Parts: sequence; C-alpha cells; structure tokens
Amino acid sequence: MISLLAQLGDWGIHGLVRLGRAHLLLLPLLRGLLDILRRPRLLLDQVYSVGVLTILIIGVAGLFVGMVLGLQGYYILSRFGGETALGLMVAASLVRELGPVLTALLFAGRAGSALTAEIGLMKATEQLSGLEMMAVNPEYRVLAPRFFAGLLSVPLLAAMFSCLGVLGGWMVGGGMLGVDQGAFWNGMQNGIDFREDIINGVIKSVVFGFVCTWIAIFQGYDCVPTSEGVSRATTRTVVHSSLAVLGLDFVLTALMFS
Amino acid sequence: MSLAEDIFNEPPLVKIRGLRFRRGSRWIFDGLDVDIPRGSVTAIMGPSGTGKTTLLKLIGGQLRPDEGTIEVDGENVHALSTHDLYRLRMRMGMLFQSGALLTDISVFENVAFPLREHTRLTESMIRKLVLLKLEAVGLRGARDLMPSELSGGMARRVALARAIALDPMMIMYDEPFTGQDPISMGVLVQLIRRLNDAARITSVVVSHDVGETLEIADLVYVISDGRVVESGTPAKLTESGGEWTRQFIHGLADGPVPFHYPAPVLEEDILEAAR
Repeated sequence: MISLLAQLGDWGIHGLVRLGRAHLLLLPLLRGLLDILRRPRLLLDQVYSVGVLTILIIGVAGLFVGMVLGLQGYYILSRFGGETALGLMVAASLVRELGPVLTALLFAGRAGSALTAEIGLMKATEQLSGLEMMAVNPEYRVLAPRFFAGLLSVPLLAAMFSCLGVLGGWMVGGGMLGVDQGAFWNGMQNGIDFREDIINGVIKSVVFGFVCTWIAIFQGYDCVPTSEGVSRATTRTVVHSSLAVLGLDFVLTALMFS
Repeated sequence: MSLAEDIFNEPPLVKIRGLRFRRGSRWIFDGLDVDIPRGSVTAIMGPSGTGKTTLLKLIGGQLRPDEGTIEVDGENVHALSTHDLYRLRMRMGMLFQSGALLTDISVFENVAFPLREHTRLTESMIRKLVLLKLEAVGLRGARDLMPSELSGGMARRVALARAIALDPMMIMYDEPFTGQDPISMGVLVQLIRRLNDAARITSVVVSHDVGETLEIADLVYVISDGRVVESGTPAKLTESGGEWTRQFIHGLADGPVPFHYPAPVLEEDILEAAR
C-alpha cells in the first residue's frame, strides 16, 4: 500500500516536473519569432513540411465527413420535412466543431507525430548537440520555426476541412438526394453568423494548433534519445494531443456558446 | 609547473581545476585537473564509461560541473552568459562520434551551415570556402551527396570540414576512430595531425583506440575513477610502470580493472540456484 502511494507520488512529481519543463520551453519558442522575422525562409520551409504535406489527408477527410453529414442530416431532417435546413446543419457542424476538432486530431496524427520523431531523432543522432556546439541555438533554429508553422497551418487546414466538408455535404444533399440547391446555400448563408460561428471556429483551431504543436515539439525535445524513447514520445504526442484537443473543445464550447 | 607547461612555454588553452561532476549518485569526475596546451594534440584516454565524452561536453559548456572550474582561452566557461558562451563556441569545433551532420541537407550545405549562420559572406565566397574545406578532407567531389549516402568515415570527414569552417582555435574529437576500417582510420589520423600542424589548431582527442591515438598525440591523459591516473608523452606512457596505465595501454584482460564484474562467490551463486 505504502509503495503504491509512493509510486503514485513519484508519477505525480515527474508529471509536474515535465509540465514545468514544457512551459519553460514556451519562452524560447516565442523568442524564436524574432529569428523567424529576420529569416522567413525558415518558417516557409516548415509550413511546407508541416502544413502543405498534410493537405491531402485533411482534404479527403473533410470531403467524406461532409458527405456523411449530408446523408445523416438528410435522413433525420427529412423525417420532419426540414431538408432545406441541410446546408445550415452541415456548415454549422463543420465550422463550429468538426472542422477544428477533426483537423487537430488528424494534424496530431500526421504532422505532430512526424515532428516528434524528427526532433527526437535529431536529438538521438546528436544533431541538436552539434548545433549547440556550432553556436546555433536549436530552440530558435529548429524548434521555433516548426512551432509557428504548426500554429499557422492548423487554422488554414481547418478552414480547408470545413470548405471541403460543405462541398461534400452539397454533393450528397444537392446532387444525390435532390435537396433544393437554393435552399441549401441560402439556409447556410442566413444561419451562419460570422462572429459567433466562424470566428469562434478559428479561435478553436488556433488554440488546438498551439497545443498540438507545442506537445509534439516538447515530446521530441524531451524524449529519451534512444529508438525506444523516440517511439514512446511519438505515441505520447498523439495520445496527449488528442486528449487535450477533446478536453479543450469542451471548455471552449462551454465558454463560447453558453 | 605542470607537465603541459613544460612542453609549451605559454599558458594552456584549456585549464581544468578540481572538476567534480556526477550523474545521479555516481561521481563521474572527482577532482580532475587537466591542462591542454595550445597548438598540441592532447589525448584523453580511458576505458568506456569513464566520462570522456562528458568531459568534452563540460569543456563546451553543454553540461555544468558540480564543482571546479574550466577555463578556455582564459574564460571561465560556466561563468559566461549564454551570449558569451555562444561567442566562445564559435571559436571551438567539435567532431561528434556520429558526425552529427544535418540529415536533410547536402554535404555542401552542411559545411556551409556555420558560415551562413555566423557570417555575412557572399554566396560566391561561401562556395569557395566550402570547397576549400572539403578539399582539405578530400571530399570536394562528394559535395552534392546527402549524408545518408556517405560511409561512416566520410561522414566524419565532412563533419570535420564543418568543424573547421569558421577556423576555430580548437577542435574536440569525440572517439574519432571508433568503428572505422583501417583505411578510414589512417585517413582520420593523418587529417587530425595535419590540420593541427597546418592551422596550429589545438586538438583534444577523446579515444580508447590506443595505437592510433598515441601515434598523433603530443600529450596524453589517462583517466580512471574520475581522476587523472597518469599523464605524459606517448613514449613515457608506453614505458610506464603504473599498473593501471600498463593494463590500459597494453590491453591486458585483468588488472586493476578486473575481468569479472563484482559478484558473489561462484560456488555460493550456484548452490543458491540449486536450492
């Protein structure tokens, strides 16, 4: 019993220490913005590898989610003769919830895990130590551009997800199931509020982008520099990011729409 | 007057005094005193696990000692601000055991990296300098290869070209000969000596490859149990009567470093298993 308590205490202390280190890492990440402003090329390279290479999975997922929403929405709404609200339902679901949340989850799985593995391997192969010995701060040169690339990419990817989702919903609703196209688009235009829905969705995706990229970078930078350590860190990135996104989504939704 | 000052009549480039450093409860260094003379090839030798790589990281300011001081060119490394430490590191090169090349850029870009980071040279000047550095290590023709296309020996030579890109005052070599075939090893041995003499760079070689290291070193420190066991010229150490140094230099299986890891008496262990 005592040893169990001691073990729990040990986990708790280690967890808090890691949390502290993660927060301390934020300072150099934010300070690295100065370097990025001087050399925007560093950021652009990372936006390509973190954001552009994630477009395919985001686009395909967005399209299919929109198509499923179109189908499910039509089946439910048609029971009450409300098919004309399909456009509004699809758009509101995507812009408020599914766009930011699913984009962040997919981002954590595709780009977050890749970020952790890349930084972890750089640590394991002494590339980060090599940079330090070349008088180059790896926190500014390696971590900060990746952090801001993630921060910038997630809202853009979420916007892309939502647009393609709406397109998918329209293809199914308007194209296959015969919902009136005028009503579909008009309902969406009238029902979606720019500040209430779109801005809040953007705020969510910025928060998720911040958290997912921060977790991915910290896990890579803080990992045990062995193959097992990198593998564990990559898993932790996906698990922690997913849980953080789902938890934060509840909190943000409660704050924004209550 | 220390031995180093006997060899070179000027203050040492690196001066380590009373260094104590521990990992967990184990003391890696427990009162280490080392002088590294300017312009020399100084070897730090000792078996695996004696903290040779740790010593290089302490000299480079990547680790902080628990006690003692490390001075490089008169500057106390661990009393410097981050800015001054980075300024000092620009005058130090380090060759890592793995090479530590950046894997996503070519050989040329790896060597150009410190020049691009720390100078405002024109692209044509950078190109000339990179080609000269690669020529010095015999790999000018490999400039367009990616690090994944290099052999272990070639990767270390590229890393060496990168380490000398900014014309440092000293280079630290971490196990440069480990895992090399005889040809690559011979090339590296020659390169270290040649670069040292041509540019009067101070070289610190951490290694447990006795033959190769003694061949090029001017001064050797043998470390065990966190202290310097013996130091001197390679000739002096080869003839040393010290038990520990003799075991290490001649690769004897048993001696002060026992063949057996500490364990209970064999009979007791076997009977215990039979019970």
